[in-house]
Amino acid sequence: MSASNLGETEGAVRLCQVNDVAEGNGLQINLPERPPLAVFKIEGHIFVTDDTCTHGQASLCEGEIEDGVVECPFHQGAFEIATGKAISAPCSVHLKTYQPILVGDDVFVHLDKSSS
Amino acid sequence: MAHIRIADADVSFECGSDDSLLRAGLRANLNLPYECNVGSCGTCKFELLSGEIKVLSENAPGLSERDRKKGRQLACQCMPLTDCVIKVRQEDGAPAKFSPTRLKVKLIKVTDVTHDIREFQFQGVSPATFIPGQYAMLQLPGVSGERAYSMSNLPNDEGVWSFMIRRVPQGVGTQVLFDALALGDQIGLDGPFGKAYYRSESERDLVCVAGGSGLAPMLSIARAWSQKSKGDEESLTFFYGGREPRDICGETMLQQLPEFNQQLHFVPSVSGAGLDATNAWQGRTGFIHEVMHGFEGLDYANSDFYIAGPPMMTQAVMDFLRESHAVPQERIYFDRFF
Repeated sequence: MSASNLGETEGAVRLCQVNDVAEGNGLQINLPERPPLAVFKIEGHIFVTDDTCTHGQASLCEGEIEDGVVECPFHQGAFEIATGKAISAPCSVHLKTYQPILVGDDVFVHLDKSSS
Repeated sequence: MAHIRIADADVSFECGSDDSLLRAGLRANLNLPYECNVGSCGTCKFELLSGEIKVLSENAPGLSERDRKKGRQLACQCMPLTDCVIKVRQEDGAPAKFSPTRLKVKLIKVTDVTHDIREFQFQGVSPATFIPGQYAMLQLPGVSGERAYSMSNLPNDEGVWSFMIRRVPQGVGTQVLFDALALGDQIGLDGPFGKAYYRSESERDLVCVAGGSGLAPMLSIARAWSQKSKGDEESLTFFYGGREPRDICGETMLQQLPEFNQQLHFVPSVSGAGLDATNAWQGRTGFIHEVMHGFEGLDYANSDFYIAGPPMMTQAVMDFLRESHAVPQERIYFDRFF
């Protein structure tokens, strides 16, 4: 646990522990009064995005993950997990991503700092 | 007729050799995923598990490299050569109220709407059944492939189908419509299609956003809204965007609705290109999402949004609604056309 990471968690929300997410999978995190987030673990790295597909009301955590890409279970639209970029129709709106902050085993994000 | 079975579901349907798997499935009242019907949106993907198909457009933009590697196809672009087993995910809930059928209709009236948009009215022999906001595929004489156009009128027992169509420079389809088709001529019509239809049961305010020939489905929805019984507080705000003042249309049709300038407000805007002193445009300027941003009186938390227009406009309005006002997807309705 580094002091700098501790400082970064001010105002951030704790989502889960790194070990809660299985390698190559996504974990849906439900937070009050906002759409769910997805925490992905790809080759040991943690990524956080919105969980709901930008095309339909589907949970991306239920989608197939392959080569750093998650595929929506509804219409097989696909996003790059690291960048949120929509790479396969029918998805055209990019997925919002959040910079994960790791403090020990805990995963935090700032909900107000998303990029899409 | 080919027999098409959906794997992992106790469902099968018949498909003519001249019909797409998508349309035949919809005719059989299945709730298959789709939007555009012309190979572009990528919503109707499926996997062929057995059987042979003919693919209409090998390079359809709706399929990504990734999809091709995985052997996926678009149901709107595939016709069966034999019986087939396919893998496709059916949508939740019931399909749209009317399944599509093929009709022959006659051109009965043509009216100029703007310098490049005309209203074309066709007459069939059976009632025109559709939900406002839906579209039909028109098969024009001498033109290969079909064209998707949205209806501008209301469903009716008289069998009248009205479309507002913008002339596409060098467009083969609109050339036939604008220059060759005469009153009394017959064309093929297949419909209705589309999922961005009007949900009249909603008691929220209604916001229609249109550009170009997207006027047609938004006008149909506005007409349906006007006819339904509703509270005095339920409002309709109708945005229309054009490039130049001469592109602006819709007001004369909306003026015929009793709510005009009371519960119903028309907000046109020109995006600036082509504006000069001779045009003398006194109204709003800017892209529609910019106009919406500066427009007071929209209750974003309590409105349904219907969008029809050029892809750039649809995308910009959608981004604006989601990012500036966190409007959830289930209150934004649009079918993508390309």
